[in-house]
Amino acid sequence: MSEGDKAPQLPENLFNSLLSSSGRADLLLLFHRNPGLIDTVEGIARRMGKKGKAIESDVSELAKNSILQKKKVGNSDVYFLNREKDAEAQRDIANYITNLGGKKKS
Amino acid sequence: MMNTVSTAGAPRVKTGIAEFDAMLRGGFMKGDAVMLAGSAGTGKTTIALQYLINGIKTTGEGGLYLTFEQHPDQIYRDAKNFGWDLQKLEAEDKLRIVFTSPDLLMGEGDPESLLEGPIKAVNARRIVVDSLSHLSMFAKNDDIRQETYRVVNFFKRKEMSTLLIWESPQVLGQSFSISDVGLSFLVDAIVSLKFVEIDSSIRRAIVVLKMRGSDHDKSLREYEITKDGVKVHASFKDYQGIMSGSPTKVAAERFAEAFREAAGKKGK
Repeated sequence: MSEGDKAPQLPENLFNSLLSSSGRADLLLLFHRNPGLIDTVEGIARRMGKKGKAIESDVSELAKNSILQKKKVGNSDVYFLNREKDAEAQRDIANYITNLGGKKKS
Repeated sequence: MMNTVSTAGAPRVKTGIAEFDAMLRGGFMKGDAVMLAGSAGTGKTTIALQYLINGIKTTGEGGLYLTFEQHPDQIYRDAKNFGWDLQKLEAEDKLRIVFTSPDLLMGEGDPESLLEGPIKAVNARRIVVDSLSHLSMFAKNDDIRQETYRVVNFFKRKEMSTLLIWESPQVLGQSFSISDVGLSFLVDAIVSLKFVEIDSSIRRAIVVLKMRGSDHDKSLREYEITKDGVKVHASFKDYQGIMSGSPTKVAAERFAEAFREAAGKKGK
């Protein structure tokens, strides 16, 4: 396969992080629909009808990729959407999809 | 004049509901904490959003809507029915809808670190807390007043005009009792929204129960929720017992009605 036949690439970390887990996709959807959500893992899980333990690792993964930011409120760690990073990720995904369409046509 | 407080020159915060602002003699007092009490369906959220949007559109005051239970995506959707695009206002950094848990504000929580980002982002001058009822549920019984006092004072220290929504459990009847709530001393003004049954139909009434440092309309006024938001109408002058939820016509109106009926029969 020549270089030109390769499918367009998303930044690997971003792709793996956002699209390889349905739990992470659910989390992203929750934050996109409610971009002002600021809560603990337990509080975020409650909004999804889940227990904190069930989303803990997905929240950490999104925080590792800077899509979510973490800060201390009192004694608790809270998470919220990093609006700038999220907008950047959305742009990357949109570009990826556009380029994918272009490759298919050719 | 007795019992009338001079309010000349006091800065006011208009709600944008013209007749309601007239009831408040020009709007709420700037920086005050106001309790908006009413049962489900009385239009508390609609009034609160109108209050924030009016601040953004007329005086350029940034707004913050703090919700504990209702998901913001529902608020966006409902606001669109009134022609209010809240997401656009958020994108323009004029509004933030913060969705969080009450325990991050109360007890060992910290309103400063929780809200400093959103307050700065939109330079918030008006805030709606939806609701004070949820907030107080998260404080231990002995601490409710103290904890609520701390949160209310945080907003005052930030020079924000605060609208605190109180969810009354009762739909009809005496749905709001200041002594039951026990938090009335913490707020500067109290507005009560009520359903009333008149001639077998449900109508809505609004009354300003308290307004510290200002004169206000003492009458119960009818209001409705229209496609453009809340509109306040005339007072229920022909009825008594509105606060009970089941008012009766005043004697003079009953007499006038009987007279009109008799005159009608005679004319036939």
